[in-house]
Amino acid sequence: MSRKKAPKGKSGSASPSTTKDNNNRSGKSGLVAGVQANGVVHPSRASVSSSEFYDVAFKVMLVGDSGVGKTCLLVRFKDGAFLAGSFISTVGIDFRNKVLDIDGVKVKLQIWDTAGQERFRSVTHAYYRDAHALLLLYDVTNKASFDNIRAWLTEIHEYAQQDVVLMILGNKADASHDRTVRREEGERLAKEFGVPFMETSARSGLNVDLAFTAIAKELKHRSMKGVGEPKFKLHEYVNKEMKTTGCCRT
Amino acid sequence: MEKANGTRAPQQPQLRINVPSTARERVSSVDPYGFERSNDFDYESYEELMSEYLAVLTKRSIKWSKLLQGKSLIEKNLKLKRYVRKGIPNEYRALIWMAASGSQEQMEKNPGYYNSLLQAQHDPKLVETIRTDLHRTFPDNVQFRKTAEPCLQKPLYNVLVAYGHHNKAVGYCQGMNFIAGYLLIITKDEEKSFWLMEALLGRILPDFYTPAMLGLKTDQEVLGELVKVKVPAVWQAMVEHNVMWTLVVSRWFICLFIDILPVETVLRIWDCLFYEGSKILFRVALTLIRHNQALISQARSLPDICDCFKQITKGAFVEDCHLFMQNIFKKPGSLSMATITKLRVMCRARIMAEES
Repeated sequence: MSRKKAPKGKSGSASPSTTKDNNNRSGKSGLVAGVQANGVVHPSRASVSSSEFYDVAFKVMLVGDSGVGKTCLLVRFKDGAFLAGSFISTVGIDFRNKVLDIDGVKVKLQIWDTAGQERFRSVTHAYYRDAHALLLLYDVTNKASFDNIRAWLTEIHEYAQQDVVLMILGNKADASHDRTVRREEGERLAKEFGVPFMETSARSGLNVDLAFTAIAKELKHRSMKGVGEPKFKLHEYVNKEMKTTGCCRT
Repeated sequence: MEKANGTRAPQQPQLRINVPSTARERVSSVDPYGFERSNDFDYESYEELMSEYLAVLTKRSIKWSKLLQGKSLIEKNLKLKRYVRKGIPNEYRALIWMAASGSQEQMEKNPGYYNSLLQAQHDPKLVETIRTDLHRTFPDNVQFRKTAEPCLQKPLYNVLVAYGHHNKAVGYCQGMNFIAGYLLIITKDEEKSFWLMEALLGRILPDFYTPAMLGLKTDQEVLGELVKVKVPAVWQAMVEHNVMWTLVVSRWFICLFIDILPVETVLRIWDCLFYEGSKILFRVALTLIRHNQALISQARSLPDICDCFKQITKGAFVEDCHLFMQNIFKKPGSLSMATITKLRVMCRARIMAEES
């Protein structure tokens, strides 16, 4: 248990009222960030591995059809690993944490992995409204999963916060032989909805870190924008940093 | 039952050189059901536990063979119920599950039905959904590897497709793949697995798997009500941190504890599930929650609670399946079917009112 208590120990020294806000359903996004923004103090950091401390925390949800690779993407990001054929279908909802260093600020992403099958949505809907960011995935080798993106977006607009950070990811971009959705199609759809887009591959690692880092940057900037600091532009950042399958095949 | 190679001391003293000296060497890295043991598997404590449990298994096996000797018909009675609670030896599991759940009777009444389902025209959408999960069902089990001979992926596909067409209201729901997988491991027979699946989803469990999942939502709330009375400290923590029960227990119910509790413990739970019904799931959940109430009520946030609920399904308390099963009938106290039925009616009405 001591490990889990670590972040709270820190907050005690900075701001006493920081622990419960991330579960506040009626609250606005970025609540945790708001109160912890000034808490960039790490009194006991030396004693425990730094990854356990954070300054701000956000909730990110992975959504998309069954089998598009949500869990694989998360595990690739969390552990840097991809073990082909070692994943089981996700039932219900689960989460993993990862702390990123964004411009010297420790940003904790609490990433919720959801079951893709339609009937589980009644279970996962309830979590949309607490999410600060949503990563919506389709599988470039599965046209149906791409066609369902519109339905997913409708659902997101209905249940998520209005200002939720959203990104569309075309996963399994390494599978060039089986590809049925061209990158341009993904780009076009994302543009239509004004949502940042990139192709990813949990297998090769393509753009996986970037997707989560971009989200973390956007959320961090929103919540603790310093005076005179230029606005972070998620679209531009993504388009600048993104790699395409052509240039970095493994 | 143990597949461990070379556990017996050799006759010839000069062969001593081959005697495995550590538990890691003595215990097979694949369990008797084909599951590979995880990297952090504690071979030492497993061996210690098994040395005691093997004695129990042997004793039970003898008792069961005496009980079943010369019997052509297995009747449910108090003695059999007591025997089931103490664990069905693996060699009799399929037999007793089939008899106790009424699956045997159904199978005999409907000869050829399973095959007719397989040969009928199949809904391509359902087939596609099932296919998506085939390679995602027990990749850690050697029997489900594509390279295994025979590979259980095909029987798994058959059972799920047959069931989906038999019960169109359910079709296929994720989680059913794991259940069918376990049934195949134990029965080694597609048709029996199908009929056991039919008993579970059709009679034993409420409607956990239909698209509306009303039975699941209901039972999650019923568990909440039971916790409120029996383990108020945990109920308090859940309310304080705004944790919906579905978040922490939906997998417990949907997967019937597969991939949540150790394999042997799950099978012991299923022994009672087939014999006594869905009430057992509440007993297991309540036991886990009650045993760990101090831990859960100390949790300081929603993610903390989620972590706790994962943590409490691991460790010595659940590994020792024999003791655990004794606990589920003691720890939660009395739990009558009448209470559960009443709570189900109440919770179902509440959910339906909220959803409308």
